[in-house]
Amino acid sequence: MTVSFLLFSGIALLLLLLLIVLLREPGKKPRLESDQSSIEESGYRHVIFFAQVRRALTPDDYAFLAKRGSAQLAQRVRKERRRIALLYLSCLRREFSRLWKLARVIAAMSSRVGAAREIARFRLGVAFYLRYEVIRLKFILGLGPVPDLGAVSELVSNLAIRLETAMSDLGERAALASELSSTFDGGGLHTR
Amino acid sequence: MTELASSVKWVWAASVLLQLALFALLFLRSNVRKLPVLTLYVATNLGQAACILYLISSPHLSPRTYDLVPWVSEAITLLFQALAASEAIHLLLRPYRGIWGLTWRALALVSAILLAFIAQHTAGNYHWALLEADRGYHLIFASAIMACFLLVRYYNVLVPAPFKLLLAGFCFFSCATILVNTIFQDLLYSKVPDYEPIWQFASVLSFALVQVVWLAALREPLPADQRPLIAADDLYEELTPEIDARLRILNKKLAKLWKLEVRS
Repeated sequence: MTVSFLLFSGIALLLLLLLIVLLREPGKKPRLESDQSSIEESGYRHVIFFAQVRRALTPDDYAFLAKRGSAQLAQRVRKERRRIALLYLSCLRREFSRLWKLARVIAAMSSRVGAAREIARFRLGVAFYLRYEVIRLKFILGLGPVPDLGAVSELVSNLAIRLETAMSDLGERAALASELSSTFDGGGLHTR
Repeated sequence: MTELASSVKWVWAASVLLQLALFALLFLRSNVRKLPVLTLYVATNLGQAACILYLISSPHLSPRTYDLVPWVSEAITLLFQALAASEAIHLLLRPYRGIWGLTWRALALVSAILLAFIAQHTAGNYHWALLEADRGYHLIFASAIMACFLLVRYYNVLVPAPFKLLLAGFCFFSCATILVNTIFQDLLYSKVPDYEPIWQFASVLSFALVQVVWLAALREPLPADQRPLIAADDLYEELTPEIDARLRILNKKLAKLWKLEVRS
């Protein structure tokens, strides 16, 4: 077998495999994923209380617990911090994917799409998800240190409110366009 | 020209019948108005079949004619194939002007990169020049269709089933041709004495299968407009820079955790 054989047949098989994957309907997620998403949803709501949670888990408190409490208690707190770190990661991911998706929806609706801007956002997305998976795996396996949690409250911002407005604006425009299109298609009017 | 094996003849006849049915269906379902280039492509395929039939039934032509006619007709059909696929993609993405602009640039880039790769790979290989050119074309074509599928999925563009099947058929045929040509060139040619019927059978069968997929795709008239046009240019200009900035902030937050990992 030559290099050419392996190269070309490999590419052809890879393309066929990709074709099968891409032809599958997106959006029909299995139950497990929807469960996960509801967990993340609740995590997202907890973002609002994250400042308090963060205060409760400062290194000072942790040192105090380790010194005055039992080893069991310290272990429990460590576990708890790891769980919260994972929740924090999940919040980051959820917010990121929401914004990423929204940017793509807006781009799809726009008649002028900047290639450089789109490529930069795509690269950012790929980098984010790769990094996210590595860190998450490390936390789950207990290989990484528990991080000093940043201010997650920043996630809830004015932009979020503006995005909601934009989404409802898009919805209204879509409804209007659909109404217009059905009118011109002869909805009650004999246009042909 | 060598006589076709009976198995090849049967598959070829079935393929021609399927092409005729497809051609008729394009007119019967009024899809010819929306897909005129695809109709021309099917017509050129039928023309190519007629050419080959003429060559088989005329034993006294010059050897040069036997060599030249199939490859010239192949080049013409491949040209129409590319145009027909572009037509389908354009029709699909017409409501999304920005994405269409991005798509054709991406397709041009992918094609240019692959063309350079193939030119470099096949330089000096004159013995297999035509087969290499055919394989290279299909590699570019399949990759371009795949790039289009990926872009469409990335932007959550709803693809109606007929378009999906049409493009999938094109992609499948090109992938099958790459595989068949590769197996023929690298394995069968040197090891199997009676290689030609196997190659012909596999090539014609894959094409016949694609005709079945296209018949299924075009059994109904194509949907009217894919989606109402919604102008979001203002939102794109105003909001996407802010969204991008926010995405970068989120990425930085993650990067902080990453740095913590690296330091530890």
